[in-house]
Amino acid sequence: MLEAVQLTKRYSSLPAVQDLSFRLQPGQVLGCLGPNGSGKSTTVKMLTGLLEPSRGVVRFNGRTIQEDLASYRMHLGYVPEEAHLYPYLTGWEYLEMVGTLRGMSRDRMYLKIDSMLQLFSLHVARHASIGTYSKGMRQRILLIAAIMHDPDIFIFDEPLSGLDVTSALIFKNLVQTLGRSGKLVFYCSHVLEVVEKVCTDVLILRKGVVIAHDSVTNVGKILGESLENTFLHLVDDVDTMNVARDIVEVMKAA
Amino acid sequence: MIREIARQEWEYQRDRPFGRLVQLFVARIFRGGGDTDAEGLDLGVGLVLTLLALPGGFVSIFLFDKYGSLLQWLRGQTNVDTLLMAFPDEYFFIVLSMTVTGAIAVWRWDAIFPDRRDHMNLAHLPVATRTIFSANLLAIVFLVGVVAFDANAASCVLFPMVVSASQGSLLFFLKFGAVHAVGVLLSSVFSFLAVFAILGLLMAILPPRFLRRVSAYARGLVVVYLVTLLCTSFVIPELLRRVKGPAPSWALLFPSCWFVSLCQLLRLRANPAMAELAKLCVPGITLLTLFAFCVYAIGYRRHFVQISEIGEGTSVVHAPLPWRWSALEELVLRTPFQRGCFRFVGKTLRRSEAHRLVLTGVAGLALVLASQALMRAFEGMKSAPQAAMTSEALSIPFVVSFLLIMGLRIVFEIPSDLRANWIFQLMLDPDQECEPLARRVILASILPWLLVITFAAYLYLKGPVVAVLHTLVVVTWSCLLTNVVLVRFRKLPFTCSLPVFKQHSIVILISLCFGFLIYAGSTAEFESSALSQPTRMLFLLPVAGVAWYIPHYMGKNTIDIERKLIFEETTTRTVELLRLSE
Repeated sequence: MLEAVQLTKRYSSLPAVQDLSFRLQPGQVLGCLGPNGSGKSTTVKMLTGLLEPSRGVVRFNGRTIQEDLASYRMHLGYVPEEAHLYPYLTGWEYLEMVGTLRGMSRDRMYLKIDSMLQLFSLHVARHASIGTYSKGMRQRILLIAAIMHDPDIFIFDEPLSGLDVTSALIFKNLVQTLGRSGKLVFYCSHVLEVVEKVCTDVLILRKGVVIAHDSVTNVGKILGESLENTFLHLVDDVDTMNVARDIVEVMKAA
Repeated sequence: MIREIARQEWEYQRDRPFGRLVQLFVARIFRGGGDTDAEGLDLGVGLVLTLLALPGGFVSIFLFDKYGSLLQWLRGQTNVDTLLMAFPDEYFFIVLSMTVTGAIAVWRWDAIFPDRRDHMNLAHLPVATRTIFSANLLAIVFLVGVVAFDANAASCVLFPMVVSASQGSLLFFLKFGAVHAVGVLLSSVFSFLAVFAILGLLMAILPPRFLRRVSAYARGLVVVYLVTLLCTSFVIPELLRRVKGPAPSWALLFPSCWFVSLCQLLRLRANPAMAELAKLCVPGITLLTLFAFCVYAIGYRRHFVQISEIGEGTSVVHAPLPWRWSALEELVLRTPFQRGCFRFVGKTLRRSEAHRLVLTGVAGLALVLASQALMRAFEGMKSAPQAAMTSEALSIPFVVSFLLIMGLRIVFEIPSDLRANWIFQLMLDPDQECEPLARRVILASILPWLLVITFAAYLYLKGPVVAVLHTLVVVTWSCLLTNVVLVRFRKLPFTCSLPVFKQHSIVILISLCFGFLIYAGSTAEFESSALSQPTRMLFLLPVAGVAWYIPHYMGKNTIDIERKLIFEETTTRTVELLRLSE
């Protein structure tokens, strides 16, 4: 079980996340929603141990992750928001490096890399340098790197960015399958439809504070409509239709 | 057997996280670095190593002429003291080695330390931060070794060979070679460590938001120092040889003096000053190593471990253009294309590190050559007005303008993140002429201040006639040179791939050297004699006419296809298939 207890992060006294608490049980897929600057990325960084909380702790199976970060990370699969990869390595070399750093045996690693590259349709391009890859290809490399060591916890930060339709569909089904097989999944996204479809629970953040945390069905029921309407009601005070109309007016102005 | 053991050890290390990290950091130091994927000056390992080895090799070969016994005999040089003769050349090799290694360290400045990309890729993996620290340190040590060996390998073999050509003794060759190798390798290591220590110090003391800005200036200063160091090779050996008594304080400021003194000491040819300077080598390197290691550790702790806490990038203060500048801009830059692209080019020159670095290097060289010319102008206790009329003083604005125009022309060829050029590919008409834009950028960057300084200085020293005439020649020559360097220029600066090495590149390089001598040297010589009788300046008119007509004629005779705007430098095939059967 992954547990966040009163997580708070301040950047030079400005709070980015305040008193965030939740529990993630095996088999649960927790979606994290929020507008830009709501604290999603800070939360992800604290859950991965990349950032130390100003207050509060993250526990995995009852132990604080900071106690033994290296062993916690053995159980972790993480897809960051941006695909900053080494452009001079090939896709194969990058995965080989990640596998080695994760301490995978060579035979198991090669077998997995080969199969994963086939499944993610990257096998043909495996010996091309990452610098020549498209955004979607880089994203698929990141996905393979996150799952190939069979971790227990998955943290995905905007994992669908740049993926084509087929890969996105495969990924959505993958997340559901991972959840059903008893893995813990924390899924950060802007895309409400995806969260609605693949997550069992949802956590909505606004200005670093949790404003809703329940199952997707229950959160959607707050206004008796869809998750989208609830999200807009809770998070954004803006009338999106009006803003769109204003944009067109400014665009057409002489 | 040994090969098999080595192979097995290599395979074993490759499978271990530490070995894999070292491999990764070595690759990133040579082939990539910084937080962006910008292509910039990424030349590849092979080419970098070749370029590093070239200067030492070439210089050694050119010295055959000096040390050949037959040529010495033909010149009437008998009973030559070879070691004395080799002293200035050895100093030059030490300085060259320091400059090349230092330049590599400055160039790879961003790649030496782990950055945000490394953090994003490695920090969430089960690898301890101290493992990353040690792996990067080992990669740096490996880099120092490779660069020091590569930059000096050719000179360590060829230079002793050249020097001992007239000796006919293998022992002399081996002794000379060993001492020379010690001198150049130690100086290389020292130079790299010094740059590394400066970088580490900045990381250790500066807050992250200032680091990027300050490090740009620090790199510029290091480049200027390295250029100055290279230029000292014409003066210092003679000064050092003549020193009587203790080592002068200026020699302490140039570590190159310590290493050349060490070579002299090992050959038992050192004077007391040299013996004193040679003693600084070992403590100097030891202290520098310790210092570099400490600041590296502190810098690593402050910047890499806490990178998540640091915001990405820095914001730029935006100030609207004053109306006077807007009006001037409208006047000088006629079309929207010129106005839009001029701002892009200007901002890239100011903000892109790779471009700034090359320009700083060129500006540093210009500064050093200009200072040397100024010093020569004042030789013989001349007064300022007398010195101002010497060819050396008159050549200063020409030297500066030549180097800056060439520097800007070279910088235009360095791409700035090619993936971003889609906007220009999408918007610009292929028939758009880039030459006028490039000309305006060059002239706007150089002429205003060059004109003001030259005119003001000569107005004060020699009166209005000389000031006007000299400034007029400087401006005309700058415009003509700009025309020449932009013949058949058909790209938007920074948006085209880096040109490949062409067969005629060496011819261009030699032409540049001759061009410099004519542009800066001959013009100043002529001016020096003609300015006293201003009517003689009219002789420059036909020269200017020819210099204007040739590029104009070439431009006029360019076929339409060669005028089209390009975004990729393609190589010309040596063999063209005609496909007549198709």
